[in-house]
Amino acid sequence: MLHRRIYQFFIIYCLGLSGLFAFKYTLGLSDYVIPSPTDVWSTAQEYLFPFSMDVLDTLGVAVVGHMISICLAAVVAVIGGKANWIGSFIKMAAYNIQAYPIVAVAPIIFILFGDGLTSRLLITAMICYFPLLLSFIGIVSQPVPDIEHFYDVTGQTTWWLPLKVRMFENTGKLITVISGSATVAMVGTIIAEFIAADAGIGYRIRIALYQSDLSKILVALFLIGICTSLYLFALEFMGKKIQQRMDVQ
Amino acid sequence: MKIYQIVKRLLIMILVWLVLVPSGFCGEPLTEINYRLKWLLNTSAAGDIYADRGGYFVENGLRVVVKSGGPERDPIKELELGRAHFGVASADQVIRALSKGAKVKVIAQLFQINPLQWIYRPDEITVSTPDDLKNKTIGITFGGIDENIMKAILAKSRINESQVHLYSVRYDFTPFYQGRVDLWPIYRNAQGPIIGARMEKAGETVGYFNPDAHGIHSVANSVITSDEILRDQPELVENFLSALLKGWEMAMDPDNAEKTIAMIHDADRDTPLAVIAEQLSLTRGFIQPNPDIPIGRIDVEAWKQTEQMMLDQGMIDIPVHIEKALEVR
Repeated sequence: MLHRRIYQFFIIYCLGLSGLFAFKYTLGLSDYVIPSPTDVWSTAQEYLFPFSMDVLDTLGVAVVGHMISICLAAVVAVIGGKANWIGSFIKMAAYNIQAYPIVAVAPIIFILFGDGLTSRLLITAMICYFPLLLSFIGIVSQPVPDIEHFYDVTGQTTWWLPLKVRMFENTGKLITVISGSATVAMVGTIIAEFIAADAGIGYRIRIALYQSDLSKILVALFLIGICTSLYLFALEFMGKKIQQRMDVQ
Repeated sequence: MKIYQIVKRLLIMILVWLVLVPSGFCGEPLTEINYRLKWLLNTSAAGDIYADRGGYFVENGLRVVVKSGGPERDPIKELELGRAHFGVASADQVIRALSKGAKVKVIAQLFQINPLQWIYRPDEITVSTPDDLKNKTIGITFGGIDENIMKAILAKSRINESQVHLYSVRYDFTPFYQGRVDLWPIYRNAQGPIIGARMEKAGETVGYFNPDAHGIHSVANSVITSDEILRDQPELVENFLSALLKGWEMAMDPDNAEKTIAMIHDADRDTPLAVIAEQLSLTRGFIQPNPDIPIGRIDVEAWKQTEQMMLDQGMIDIPVHIEKALEVR
């Protein structure tokens, strides 16, 4: 499964790169606009290792930020899913925060947390949590009448029980949503590094953009693709194992 | 019968109009061209705005679309892709592009002195000479021209990079306002009046460290076009450049200050008139530091120094012989 995901990514990347080179040579563009294959190759040889370290740094932050956003979305969904004033208030606040462009909020984040790891994590979580929140709210606010009715009539219902039932019944959906949002976490971390950090692959891309160096960006994109594929595979693998265990039980 | 004659005359008039308009009855058709600036429409583009709104391009038979720039818009790439005919770029962009095989020519140099300087608080630190930079936290944009300039100052003054702390800057000034960074790079003419006023309002004094005063002459905004346009359409280049430089001359003339300020404000509504007035006054000194220097003069030595600086710092692998790309008039 892993090797299939990787070679599929290779096919997509190579197709994209071929398209770019075809565009370059058809229009007769210089290496400044689109680098030549030899330029990309020599850049890859020089920067593959340092950029790999940067991508791993980014991946580390993306994983932690993803976990934070899962917890955040779960908490907000549980509270916001309630049909009372606090619930609607939390939901409204969560929706409003998401509506603000991150570049406008970034200066406030810098003032509060500086431009280190905390800011990167926070921005990643802010970008990543909303798609999760929407799915989580959908899941926790949708009753499972057959099962919940049983607990209701037997008087065993607590505030926590319906939540457990709904999450258990929608495990497959939850796993799909969580693994799907991994890509958003990676993108969120890169944006965070682009605007608020001095480390990670997003920061390297920003420098490459200042230098109009598309070769470095292409190398960075390759590594980002590989790392994202690996992370997605890891999440799907864990999800599969969890579901297998639950099926056995 | 009468109505029939009126309709007949009207039809004839419409036909005559349809035939005459394309054949130039209303004057020579204007040549449409795109002009991509390096940055947004503000005081640093005073002459560009003046040439456009003052009608100098139209006088020379051109309909010029002046497009604002930004970090994600590269005028050299736009020239090569045929999306722009002329553009504004700094020396480092031009040299880097030439080193990658781009066919670009410099036809005028707008800023004779680079307005990039470092702002600091004289109450807290003294920066009279490059030696004073030692042990300071200096903001630089890694990958940007300010990195080249600062590293050139350090190299020229034999200061090791380990003797200063280089801080990676972004678009917002928070680390400088918070005092975590001692010197922050700014464009003296455009950002200086705004940031300086804000600091003075907070009771702080403001100082500027000017690399040009310490022998680092790096070229900023210059007008560029492609080799192809320069070779095949010299008349177009001449018409464009004469209108543009006339615009700059008028915009820099203190007698036209009021009109220039109004034009800039019209293009840059968010900046108050008083700030634009101060920005314009500062810009004059960078565009024409000496009345003997004609506006648009290409300072070949400064271009060569910029190339050498980039070579020394490994920003380019081989010399591009920048003088060959300069169209000195």
